[in-house]
Amino acid sequence: MNQTKRVKINQLPSGVPGLDEIVGGGFPEFSFNIIAGAPGCGKTTLAHQFVFKNATEERPALYFTVLGEPALKMLRYQQQYTFFDPTKLNTSVRFVNLSQELIDHGLQGVLEEITRQVQATNAGIVVVDSFRTVLRREYRDGREVEVQSFVQELALLLTSWEATTFLIGEYSEAELADNPVFTVADGLFWLYQQVERNSVVRKLQVMKLRGQMSVPGMHTFRITNAGLQAFSRTLGLTGNKRKGPDRKRLSTGIAALDEMMGGGVPEGDSLLISGPSGAGKSLLATQFIASGLRVGEPGIVAVFEERPDEYAERASTFGLDLKTALDEGSLAIIYLRPLDLSVDEMMQELIDAVKKTGAKRLVIDSLAGFEMALAPGFRTDFRESLYRMIFALTGIGITILSTLEMEENFTKFPFSSYLISFLTDDIIRMRYVEIEGQLRKIMMIVKMRGCAHSNDIREYKITEDGIVIGERLTDYEQLTTGIPQRSIKN
Amino acid sequence: MNGTGVAAQTRELAERLVRIEAASKHVAEEDADATCRVCEKLRRPLVTLTGSAGFSSLLSRALILAQREAPALGTVQVKADGSMQGFQGAAAAATHVLVTYLLSLLITFIGETLTMRLIDDIWPELPQRAVSPLEKEAK
Repeated sequence: MNQTKRVKINQLPSGVPGLDEIVGGGFPEFSFNIIAGAPGCGKTTLAHQFVFKNATEERPALYFTVLGEPALKMLRYQQQYTFFDPTKLNTSVRFVNLSQELIDHGLQGVLEEITRQVQATNAGIVVVDSFRTVLRREYRDGREVEVQSFVQELALLLTSWEATTFLIGEYSEAELADNPVFTVADGLFWLYQQVERNSVVRKLQVMKLRGQMSVPGMHTFRITNAGLQAFSRTLGLTGNKRKGPDRKRLSTGIAALDEMMGGGVPEGDSLLISGPSGAGKSLLATQFIASGLRVGEPGIVAVFEERPDEYAERASTFGLDLKTALDEGSLAIIYLRPLDLSVDEMMQELIDAVKKTGAKRLVIDSLAGFEMALAPGFRTDFRESLYRMIFALTGIGITILSTLEMEENFTKFPFSSYLISFLTDDIIRMRYVEIEGQLRKIMMIVKMRGCAHSNDIREYKITEDGIVIGERLTDYEQLTTGIPQRSIKN
Repeated sequence: MNGTGVAAQTRELAERLVRIEAASKHVAEEDADATCRVCEKLRRPLVTLTGSAGFSSLLSRALILAQREAPALGTVQVKADGSMQGFQGAAAAATHVLVTYLLSLLITFIGETLTMRLIDDIWPELPQRAVSPLEKEAK
């Protein structure tokens, strides 16, 4: 027998939406973990979510409280969360106060009482909240050796009794070095609560997790009446759909534009429409979504500057019926306006909508609005966030159309600002030109990754039927400057 | 509600618990032992939950509130471990008031559902009953 049979580590669901993906599938069974962070960042709530998700009458959870938040108050507040199941109290979930043991008998008393309770109840989950208060008392007496032996014995006991353990503590990162608790722990989960300008941003990090791959880096999370919800940096999407030249083409809803693009937008591409205010970017985006709906492709529109009903109403003035699709559920218009969102939270909204509608097309109108809706601290990472979002969504085959407002400039002709051109597969540029005393509009395809496309600069008009593309302006030169010259032909 | 800040259902529940304990020992409901047994039975899970100091504080608060309604309870004292002494004379006849306020405090802190779960664990023979609403009256 030369094939090694590795032990299988079962993974327990965290009970926190999004967190299982971050920790690599769930918390390892029988692991000895620490949840650390400053007061008020959600440590206790996270532990409660795990406890209520996993505790059973046969393998109950023991929740030890020690010199911290009184259990009565903990119950008072925690029962406000929707995950709190009162029918589990004292059967599957048991709260035990260890304050007196600590005061009367120190660490040895705490260890003995935990041992007694674990053995008596056959506990499968043990939480000590706050573990920091247990140790602080002993440090005060300068007995660090006893602390080390206490932590070792506790870890040994709880692992031997097949308990998955969480120690909760108000630690600072400066305490990471040479702390016996962190050395012994199998998993170390750090929660942060940062004030960035006027917004509060919560983040978590898996600093250590033995036996399985977790997603590195800082992940944002939010606390609602349902408890914590975490947002993985990978957005839970790891698809990597091949982008070949033979892909299906999606109609923009404008036949002439489809022709210019060699048949339409390649499926799974990210298309950027850039241009000045009033050029018709949003209208083009709406026509793209409406075109999909007509052929049975559900869509999502993320809007930041107008409300969904206004968006649908405006579409109807161009003969585009979005209301029916909205009613039928094949279209979702998501209005994202709160100013303290992380990209990951927005992404979660979009992903949820994609799953709900089975969307094939996504419109983001506009990127500037998207950036403004983010908490200030996230705006500096906007490009990186945008990259992750586009990569994740196009990776599962969603075709994205984003609009980007550009300041009209009559001396320069940037293809797109934000330096995000590299993030998009295809770019369409719209702009104004002054011709014969009129402000007219032109459109061109700047880039289509891996696909042939028209090089024509075409004039277009916004009509009551939407965008109508005209002929190539062959009589003018220097159109891209906005101030073209009439061509001199021999 | 009855003007004392305690819901009538809470008072009824307290009296019922005292009756159950009195019946189990074949003593009169006015016998202080019945009340002491109710408090003692509540003490065990509550000490586990909140520690001796936590339970003692809760009971002391309940006693102060009960004394407003039943001054005869002025002789009663709560010890550090949560046990009681001083049930003599008129105090013995008013002891169910103490249970009433202890239950009322629990309901205030952890709500009716969790309080009833606690009570059901201790007195599984207690018939199911409609207890809503048990909120306190505005004082």
